[in-house]
Amino acid sequence: MSPPLLSVEHLDVVYDGSITALSDVSLTVGEGQVVAVLGSNGAGKTSLLRAISRALGPYGGAVTGGAVRFAGADIAGLDTAAVVRRGLVQVPEGRRVFRDLSVADNLRAGGYTVRDARARAEARDRVLDLFPILAERRAQPGGLLSGGQQQMLAIGRALMASPRLLLLDEPSLGLAPLLVDQIGEIITQINRQGTAVLLIEQNAVMGLRVADAASVLEVGRVTAAGPADELSASDEVRERYLGVSVPEVAADPLVVAAPEISTAEPPKRLRVEGLTVRFGGITALSDVSFTVEPGTVHALIGPNGAGKSTLVNVLGGAYRATEGAVRYGDEELTALPSHRVAGLGVARTFQNISLALEDTVEDNLLVGRHRLMRAGLVSGAFRSPRVRREERAHRETVAGIAELLGIGHLLRTPVHTLAYGDRKRVELGRALAARPSLLLLDEPVAGMTHGESQDMADTIRQVRRDLGLSIVLVEHDMPFVMGLAEQVTVLDFGKKIAEGTPAEVQRDPDVLRAYLGAAAA
Amino acid sequence: MSYFLEQVLNGLSYGLVLSLVAAGFAIVFTSTGVLNFAHGSVVLLGAYLVAVLHPTIGFWPALLVAMAGAALVGVAINTLLVRHLADPNPGTAAILMLGVDIVLLTELTRRIGNQVLTLGAPWGASVVSVGEVSLPTGRVVAAAVTVVAFAVLWYLFSRTDLGVGMRAAAADGPTASLMGIRLTRTAATGWALAGVLAAVAGIFLTSFPAPGVAPTVALSALAAIPAWVLGGFDSVPGAIVGGLLIGLTSALVTGYESDLHGVLGTGFGEVAPYVVMIIVLLVRPSGLLGSKEAVRV
Repeated sequence: MSPPLLSVEHLDVVYDGSITALSDVSLTVGEGQVVAVLGSNGAGKTSLLRAISRALGPYGGAVTGGAVRFAGADIAGLDTAAVVRRGLVQVPEGRRVFRDLSVADNLRAGGYTVRDARARAEARDRVLDLFPILAERRAQPGGLLSGGQQQMLAIGRALMASPRLLLLDEPSLGLAPLLVDQIGEIITQINRQGTAVLLIEQNAVMGLRVADAASVLEVGRVTAAGPADELSASDEVRERYLGVSVPEVAADPLVVAAPEISTAEPPKRLRVEGLTVRFGGITALSDVSFTVEPGTVHALIGPNGAGKSTLVNVLGGAYRATEGAVRYGDEELTALPSHRVAGLGVARTFQNISLALEDTVEDNLLVGRHRLMRAGLVSGAFRSPRVRREERAHRETVAGIAELLGIGHLLRTPVHTLAYGDRKRVELGRALAARPSLLLLDEPVAGMTHGESQDMADTIRQVRRDLGLSIVLVEHDMPFVMGLAEQVTVLDFGKKIAEGTPAEVQRDPDVLRAYLGAAAA
Repeated sequence: MSYFLEQVLNGLSYGLVLSLVAAGFAIVFTSTGVLNFAHGSVVLLGAYLVAVLHPTIGFWPALLVAMAGAALVGVAINTLLVRHLADPNPGTAAILMLGVDIVLLTELTRRIGNQVLTLGAPWGASVVSVGEVSLPTGRVVAAAVTVVAFAVLWYLFSRTDLGVGMRAAAADGPTASLMGIRLTRTAATGWALAGVLAAVAGIFLTSFPAPGVAPTVALSALAAIPAWVLGGFDSVPGAIVGGLLIGLTSALVTGYESDLHGVLGTGFGEVAPYVVMIIVLLVRPSGLLGSKEAVRV
């Protein structure tokens, strides 16, 4: 029997000389196979792909044990570019298209290693055949494509090198359900044309549907492996990753000793009236109005590109409104710079996480306390007793918040070593540290597994109950907001298309059309 | 009227030479993220090589050697120094380049002494006149050569694999290497290109109406920094626009110095580029054509 196309044998990967990302990981991909690697954030999936592509170096990682063989040969001595030349090509996490380069030049960069003009033209024809939209938009900069189109460009770019094995890192991340299905079909199609695929996914439904075999990775180890249909039938995988038969979350989750984090003031009514935002010629939001009652959770949902993040950015003071008004209590927010908005008790988290990576969790949380710190520069420099007392108080508050969010044990850990899910919690913690009365959460569970987003939902419920604040929750994951929000506003292409309780919105035909495509309506 | 036209043409041709130097800054910055403050000394090195070699091998061969020499020095700086920085951040690299600049400039100053070396350019001190407007031949040649050089650069960056690879590497290095693009090669190419441009600019900055090759040339090459910054740190087209703007400004301010005397005093022509740079930076921090860091919050 010939050796498998790719075999990973007892692989160990360590970052910064001490942080273990993978230990004793083994898996194989045969010629013509699709193999999925499933796992939560922080399981080591991306490290595995980096190790296979020999691209750990720039991230401070190294292979400390085991081997990766491709077509029978150990690739330990090769650099990233040489691995590509052997036919092992990766589509990195987050797509990473070259935003300023045209679609055509992105593809050209992908075919960089192919010297033969005819082979290259054939590869390009194949790619454009697979993704007709790329031919249509070939002259546009990659950065102007939508999320789904960028994913197609990233895959097409990798296919330009006519790989023998295509490595895909989270191709479904951040895409609406309809697009995820489409990407799944594309993977099957690529595989049918003779390319083996190693697929990294936290979306286990999609991973198991397209794969022949799969491995489950948890905290750097393979905890389950086998044919895809066997794994989808296993109870453990079903429960953890597929969201099947998860016991209903207890109505009253266990109460951690309520920390002393009172909100500064009781929450006020947030009124958005006729809000329109234009960037150049593009209208991101058009005449959107809704009201958030004090102390409630109000969800803003909509497919990618609906204008949800734009709306949060206006509420937080990062973008200016072109027309319309946003009132929090009696204050008009649209005219204020971000720091003044924060001063009114409005705090936010960011979709793509915006933390000081080198600093500890505690320091990142303390940043959130900034607006409440009284000591000035001079007394701070001399560390007067009053300053030290104040600092101690802030540290205690921050520790209480960390405890509430389940990251108390990580206070002294630098953020860059944390897994994605924990970073999301640190973000939430930093926003809470500012003692807000209105909390803006921008996609708090983007990129999380079903189990992780359940945990996050519990946390959000608890935060709201213990702290009594209003929450504006932006999400494209519909089931997630259904169990959380009292009111839902649905956006599509910058317009409000529905509003009401979760149950009402779920039945709305316009919403179904926006989410599931015309076929569903 | 002809005096005004003469000043404008003077400014534009001088501006094109500045844009050659500025493009060198921009190319090194995009391909390796380094603020190359030693670039002025490399310009001087190019001119110096031509000055010492032309009596024996002739002007054009000397120019070829100078281009190769300046390219090689650029590649060497990158391979031997920049790549081995323990802490590869732009600040450290910029300080390193200031050090390299001082070493290179000191050595060239020692060799040149107080003389002003002649360049031996075939156009000498001749002047082209059309009607009432006359311009130094060297400036006319400079304008023509610069236009050709930018056409070649445009072709390289937009039509060749190497150029597309360099743009990809500049946009996102780790991802580019996943396409099989070798970052060491794109970086070396960037430094070599900058060296070639520096040598070419060197001969035009030292030939008539400039007196000849003297250490001060390294300083006058730094007048390209406002051009570079003005155009946007990472943009070659920006370098052209910036160069033209700075050239025009300094030529007009110098040309009409006697009229402006009462207001600005003498020598304002040398300061004017920096004043323009400061004003533009206040209004457009990323320069005229630089890519704005599009941060999605």
